[in-house]
Amino acid sequence: MALVTARGWYADLTAAEQNLAVAVGVVVGGLILGAVTAWVVHRVLVALSVDDAVEGTPFERTAQQLGSSSVRLLAQLCGLFVFTVAALYALRTLGVLPSELFIQELVDFLPRVFIAVLVVMVGLIAADKAELVVGEQLRSIKLPEVTLIPTLVKVSVLYVAVLIALSQLGVATGALLVLLAAYAFGVFFLGGLAFKDLLSSAAAGIYLLLTEPYTIGDEVEIADNRGIVQEMDVFVTYVEDDGEEYMIPNRTVLREGAMRVRET
Amino acid sequence: MSELGDLLDDIVADVDSVFLFSPSASLFERFADSETPLVVVGPENDVDADNYVELPLEFRDLRERIRFGIEGGLDNEYLEEGDQVACATKLFADDIDTISRVRAGDFEHSGVYDLFVNSRADPNVIRNVLEVAIELGKKGQKGKRVGALFVVGDAGKVMNKSRPLSYNPFEKSHVHVGDPIVDVMLKEFSRLDGAFVISDAGKIVSAYRYLEPSAEGVDIPKGLGARHMAAGAITRDTNAVAVVLSESDGLVRAFSGGEIVLELDPEEY
Repeated sequence: MALVTARGWYADLTAAEQNLAVAVGVVVGGLILGAVTAWVVHRVLVALSVDDAVEGTPFERTAQQLGSSSVRLLAQLCGLFVFTVAALYALRTLGVLPSELFIQELVDFLPRVFIAVLVVMVGLIAADKAELVVGEQLRSIKLPEVTLIPTLVKVSVLYVAVLIALSQLGVATGALLVLLAAYAFGVFFLGGLAFKDLLSSAAAGIYLLLTEPYTIGDEVEIADNRGIVQEMDVFVTYVEDDGEEYMIPNRTVLREGAMRVRET
Repeated sequence: MSELGDLLDDIVADVDSVFLFSPSASLFERFADSETPLVVVGPENDVDADNYVELPLEFRDLRERIRFGIEGGLDNEYLEEGDQVACATKLFADDIDTISRVRAGDFEHSGVYDLFVNSRADPNVIRNVLEVAIELGKKGQKGKRVGALFVVGDAGKVMNKSRPLSYNPFEKSHVHVGDPIVDVMLKEFSRLDGAFVISDAGKIVSAYRYLEPSAEGVDIPKGLGARHMAAGAITRDTNAVAVVLSESDGLVRAFSGGEIVLELDPEEY
């Protein structure tokens, strides 16, 4: 009954009034949908315990000073995007916007802006979090140079995030990309060079720990160092002989072999 | 109340240094500008004090706690033999409520600080083993009182001075003390006879070990059983330390260099 009345009322309106009614309906619908989206995103992020993960990062602290939180900001951003799309559609219905071409461009551009903002936000949070985690790991090393590493990690993450955001917006990022490539090459190549011994020792150490050809308490001879195995870890084997403790990298064990002394 | 104030003044008069046991940040701030050297003793250095002695266990016994702090202070050269020390510590409340005055070096050097800090094994490993022993002493194994012997550190030598009583349940396993699940495992395996052997880094090398050190010259109080004798002997023969839970009197004792350096009642923790 109500439906029929509503339809009758709608048919009585002029075309402009009909457009207005549709626009109002779309805006209201967009508001509701936006709120629902924000709520769902918020719930999903909380369920994934993102709020615990970002705890203590500077971004979260700034957000909390403004009476919000990272999770809520992210959710609100998603809601805002949904609402903006709805509002745009409403404006088009009303015919306020100048040309069809402009709308087409806007529709193309809007998701990119949205993704760029999202990437920058996530990048900020991830960079802060990475800085915190790395700093925590290195806390026991009290050297001034070490404080550089967390900052470096943070800047790297931020750099990548900004790069993604800029390329989303269609800004020319060629030069930045070359810089990133050079940086990544430096990190991986030089890092690989620096960690070469550690990595090959770790690979050998995993084999040794799994198969245990010798174990703590056995008498062995590795690379002319003879003694009793005191400790084995992933990287090194400690062999002790009359108060002299040798630290033998595990790659030496695999490369040169080990002699285990069996009691007769 | 001036008499009481005078008494307190007498106690802290002319002390060479002040030991604060687990002070709150605000209390530490108040002492920051004082003339007398300040040493903080506690499980964690959360006030960032320059002179700090780490307390591996919250010793319930005040004497043990102060003794540990003083020995740590002596070892780190925060004070010298014969220095007068004012110790501010907690006895009943959750914050500092007790002041006492001690002369460093007044009691014989028990080696309780050395047990943790200057042993071969990692201090955390020794603490974790002590905690397992205390826990086991408190609850027993399924409500029944048990004894246990943990030999910590210098595992290679200990393994060569012992023999297996049966198959080693920890063979080819890579488990370390301090892991909650492993602590349960240790408690379960405590019904086995023999000793646990734990390496410097905390890896459980073996259970079921029969220790065969030479017991010559080991002097432990009469009345303690074979388990304690074995613990004393193995620590004299190697650089290991041993943690023993007595089946008869339920006390936890730590051995180093063939002597008892620490005696704890699990019920107090």
